[in-house]
Amino acid sequence: MTNTATPAALAVAGLAKSFGPVRALRDVSLAFPAGQVTGLLGENGAGKSTLIRLCSGEMRPDRGTLTLAGQDVSFGSPLEAIAAGVVVVHQEPLLISELTIADNLFLYDLGERPAYAAARRGENVARARELLRRLDMTGYLPDPSTLCRDLSAASRQMVDIVRALSRQPKVLFLDEPNSSLTHEESERLFSVVRRLRADGVAVVLVSHRLAEVFSIVDHVIVLRDGTFVAAGDPVEIDEPRAVALMAGERKRAVVAETVAERREAVAHADDAEIALELRGLSGEGFDDVSFTLRRGEILGMSGLVGAGRTEIAEAVIGVRRTTAGRVLVGGRPVRISGPGAAQKLGIAYVAEERRTEVFHAQTVGYNLTVRILSTLGPLGWVSARRTNDAARELTRRFGVKTASTEAPITSLSGGNQQKVLLARALAAKPRVLILDEPTRGVDVGTKAEIYATLRELAHTEGLAVWFISSELEEVVELADRVVVVRQGRLTLDAPNTAGPQPIVAAAMGSTEG
Amino acid sequence: MSAPTVTAPAPERTRSAKDVARAVFKRQETGLLGVIILLGFVVSLINSNFLRADNLYNVLQTVVVVGVIAVGQTYILIAKEIDLSVGSVLALSAVTAGSVYGSGANPWIAMLAGIAVGAACGLAVGTVVVLGRVSSFIVTLGMLSIARGLTQLVTGGLPQSMPPQLSFIGQGRVFGGIPVSVIIFIVLVILGQLLLTRTIFGLRVTAIGDNDAAARTGGIPVGRTRILTFVLIGVLAGLAGIIFSTQVGVAEAQAGTGYELDVIAAAVIGGASLSGGRGSIIGAFLGACLLGVLRNAFILLALSPFLQQLSIGLVIVLAALFDQGRQGNLRHLSPSALRSRFLSGR
Repeated sequence: MTNTATPAALAVAGLAKSFGPVRALRDVSLAFPAGQVTGLLGENGAGKSTLIRLCSGEMRPDRGTLTLAGQDVSFGSPLEAIAAGVVVVHQEPLLISELTIADNLFLYDLGERPAYAAARRGENVARARELLRRLDMTGYLPDPSTLCRDLSAASRQMVDIVRALSRQPKVLFLDEPNSSLTHEESERLFSVVRRLRADGVAVVLVSHRLAEVFSIVDHVIVLRDGTFVAAGDPVEIDEPRAVALMAGERKRAVVAETVAERREAVAHADDAEIALELRGLSGEGFDDVSFTLRRGEILGMSGLVGAGRTEIAEAVIGVRRTTAGRVLVGGRPVRISGPGAAQKLGIAYVAEERRTEVFHAQTVGYNLTVRILSTLGPLGWVSARRTNDAARELTRRFGVKTASTEAPITSLSGGNQQKVLLARALAAKPRVLILDEPTRGVDVGTKAEIYATLRELAHTEGLAVWFISSELEEVVELADRVVVVRQGRLTLDAPNTAGPQPIVAAAMGSTEG
Repeated sequence: MSAPTVTAPAPERTRSAKDVARAVFKRQETGLLGVIILLGFVVSLINSNFLRADNLYNVLQTVVVVGVIAVGQTYILIAKEIDLSVGSVLALSAVTAGSVYGSGANPWIAMLAGIAVGAACGLAVGTVVVLGRVSSFIVTLGMLSIARGLTQLVTGGLPQSMPPQLSFIGQGRVFGGIPVSVIIFIVLVILGQLLLTRTIFGLRVTAIGDNDAAARTGGIPVGRTRILTFVLIGVLAGLAGIIFSTQVGVAEAQAGTGYELDVIAAAVIGGASLSGGRGSIIGAFLGACLLGVLRNAFILLALSPFLQQLSIGLVIVLAALFDQGRQGNLRHLSPSALRSRFLSGR
């Protein structure tokens, strides 16, 4: 850690932040050296975004200190951080679509100048052209008088980057700046980054495109599970080493036992009947995806956020359009027009966002039975007694901890709400269960219960489970078989017997591992 | 300095006359103006009185009250809010001015008192919306009733005489017959458009309605701007109340009942989006004019007033649909999209 002779532009010590029961960052101490490009690496959920938010004034840490150029600082808002020279380029650019590029570049004027002042928009355009010329970026954007709503994703990102540069940052965080850029566009971005480095700026790059990251970084920092793992120069921590550090070698021992058991099971799993099959499925965000899901099997789908995992699941249940390929259920090709049709074919789906899946103003009972109401009485009538019985039966079977089925759903913890969603999906007795991030924001105990329920259903009742998860540990622990999606394509389809390394390598597109 | 892979900067692009022409053609205002001219042409073929100057002034005079408030409503819609209380606030401002004058005050003081009451209503609504985090639909629905109730309390249900010194506002004509109120309206439209597109305040309103999160991280005082927007529409509703009551010389407790819907219709026909961020004051002006021309046409053509109400409703829905199409939000209804939706698969 003491390999850097260059002074730290920004250092953090003992930084910690929790969200409810989830400890996003625990006691992290590290430094970003000036005049260097630091690659901040880690799996999804390792704490990179939280670290950036704490450094840029978007959130306040529970504990810990920030030191900017040797001085202790504390930012109450992003504006204070920007004034001090700490600027963030967000993955999703914060732009006002109805204003021009020039107006967005000088958006801070709107806050800093008085309300009655003239906006000087013509002057803004001239200033924007001048700014682009000074940064040597004129060719990177359309004319500054263009409205932002007419821009491509790459140009929108570039507007945010130029705006950040116009604030003359001392520390610049680039949070996945190139996830929507083509290779050529990222190369342009990197030429800007090199220039900033020469000017003494501390650039912190968060990106999952490891090959590109390693083409530019001078310093690498790895986080895992909210803790600091390692820092060093890219010779010391090269790409395969970084992948290993991110995956966590300490997990190997724990995983080894479950893996050994699993090998036996895998040996005679191939004769089970195929419940769901995808053949060359393509659509917006994914391409030529094929895999099979057998009865009694738990399939874990891994990959980075935005790789196209959710899109594939949505295409299967008919929410998203496909351009090619087919879906087979129980060996028969089917056309699924939506979740209702999917339910009739015995496919249940639990989407990623718990907040949008729960009926907030309703009771636990309502949330449990809402999809099976038509079975709870004749001719569209819903029998209160049968609804109540069904809801009670479901809470008992899936271990939902609630005072009564009449309690409001919001009185339940996040983990219990997740169990309600799971129970609701299983109430219709599906043969295939698709889960997107089934345990996000769920505490450890409830997680274990959910895993046990899924295993039991799969291994005793032959339920086919396909879950999508960004948590590597979860995939390694729960899945019988693993598929990995990278940039919309399957890069791995194998029994889950080799631990986390091949999964990370396939997700990151690294050749080693 | 830059990497060798970077392509040479493209020559600076400036907007050609053709681009400008295309941009103008694509605007909601252009379409509206076309519809108004076409409608006027058709009506004038049937009844030549339509194009007489005094008829055109009359048309404008009838839309002034709704139009002035529509300027404010456009700001409100751009900020992603809505104000349903304007009709009641109009009446409260008018009767306040009337009764202050009745108690012996100077007519100008009476007028300012009326407008100040409008501003106070806006301030109250804005404060509850921002600090209490209640939706503006609910708060202004409440204010619609509160202001109307106060109006009845102040007047006891009796009409209040307006100061004759102010009657030139509603009735006066200058420069060979142009109504004073029409001049006030047009000046407000021009000032409103400039305020929206050329001042920090206007861009702040656009920013908070378009992308609240970006506005906050950009350091824009979001709450204060919202409150100011409600004060602005309150002032304009108050002014509309003065114009309305001086047109007839008395301020009535029932004045402006139901105007909120006409005001929202004018703003929406003019291209304001209920989802925030978009709108135009010139568009709202033209929207109000279209409503006025339609009403006038029905009178000149001696058509059923019921047909008039029906057709105004149709215009509102068609304008909103047209706007959606212009935004590219109706692509799922294009022939190719429908074909692939219903014919693909097997």
